[in-house]
Amino acid sequence: MIVYSSQKVKEGKIVKVEAQFDNVITKLKISGDFFLHPEEVLDEIEKSMLDLERDVSFDTLAFKIRNIIKNYDAQMIGISPESLALVIREALK
Amino acid sequence: MKWRVIGLETHDAYFNMALDEAISESIRVGSSLPTIRFYNWSPNAVSIGYFQGIRDEVNLDVCRELGIDCIRRWTGGGAVYHDFDGEITYSVIAPAGIFPKNIIESYGLICGWLVKGLGSLGIEAEFRPVNDILVKGKKISGSAQTRRGGILLQHGTLLYGLDLKTMFSVLNVSRQKITDKMIKSAEERVTCILNNRDIDKKDVYEALVNAFTEGKDYESGALSIQENKRAEELALEKYRSDEWMYLR
Repeated sequence: MIVYSSQKVKEGKIVKVEAQFDNVITKLKISGDFFLHPEEVLDEIEKSMLDLERDVSFDTLAFKIRNIIKNYDAQMIGISPESLALVIREALK
Repeated sequence: MKWRVIGLETHDAYFNMALDEAISESIRVGSSLPTIRFYNWSPNAVSIGYFQGIRDEVNLDVCRELGIDCIRRWTGGGAVYHDFDGEITYSVIAPAGIFPKNIIESYGLICGWLVKGLGSLGIEAEFRPVNDILVKGKKISGSAQTRRGGILLQHGTLLYGLDLKTMFSVLNVSRQKITDKMIKSAEERVTCILNNRDIDKKDVYEALVNAFTEGKDYESGALSIQENKRAEELALEKYRSDEWMYLR
């Protein structure tokens, strides 16, 4: 099953999430007009979502994203770990 | 620090974006000076941000029909319609260490050069974080930045004229839906040089060159043979490839 969500987040940019899941997330694609430095960190965020269950909590999603941002010393512009987690959560509803 | 300034050139979308990357590589290995370049796009083109999906953002059928190129940029941000007559594009490529680490501050610094250029033309403009420049509250310029391998690349456009109808037709809004209301609404949010001053595009370009180079030690330069060759490779192997185009 493929689910989708698109939102203009409170930091100002558009975030789109497409997720494919069986019992767990098997594929997740994040797109939008935001900035993330370094850019490759988005691949790491997408990978970190694989194998999570569909009812994974907002807190868990935000925690995982925050950790990746911290580990890579990355900067998000126009989005935040929390707003990205919110769009992912919305897609998985 | 000495800069190289490459005067207004016209290339297609693939070569333009490849050139920014080729120059970044060249500066990284110390073969080229930090560079400011100005350019046009021919054919007209749509560029999308690094994280965007081309099918989501661009009406590919209309682009094909109108002979408009489509390209994914190396930088984030949104989709932009690049009209040969309607804009001037710039790139600033230099070691990241000479700019503030804070990304918004570095946008502010480079966009400040543009604001100054507009000011010299009698157009009062302001930088609006993250990456916009406004005149009377309307967007006249947008920029996008990436930092890879210690090199900062910021490129951006300054709107000289507006062709909203074509812009909407390529940016994934069906032609049936391009209403007068939509165009009026965009006119309330976006502006261009010609809406503010009746001035030749050449004069705008000269004002930009003066503002971007003010206080800098610079030489009027050209691309090296190596940069040209590398840009041709990148244009063909990366920027024209389906793998890159449909990355997301």
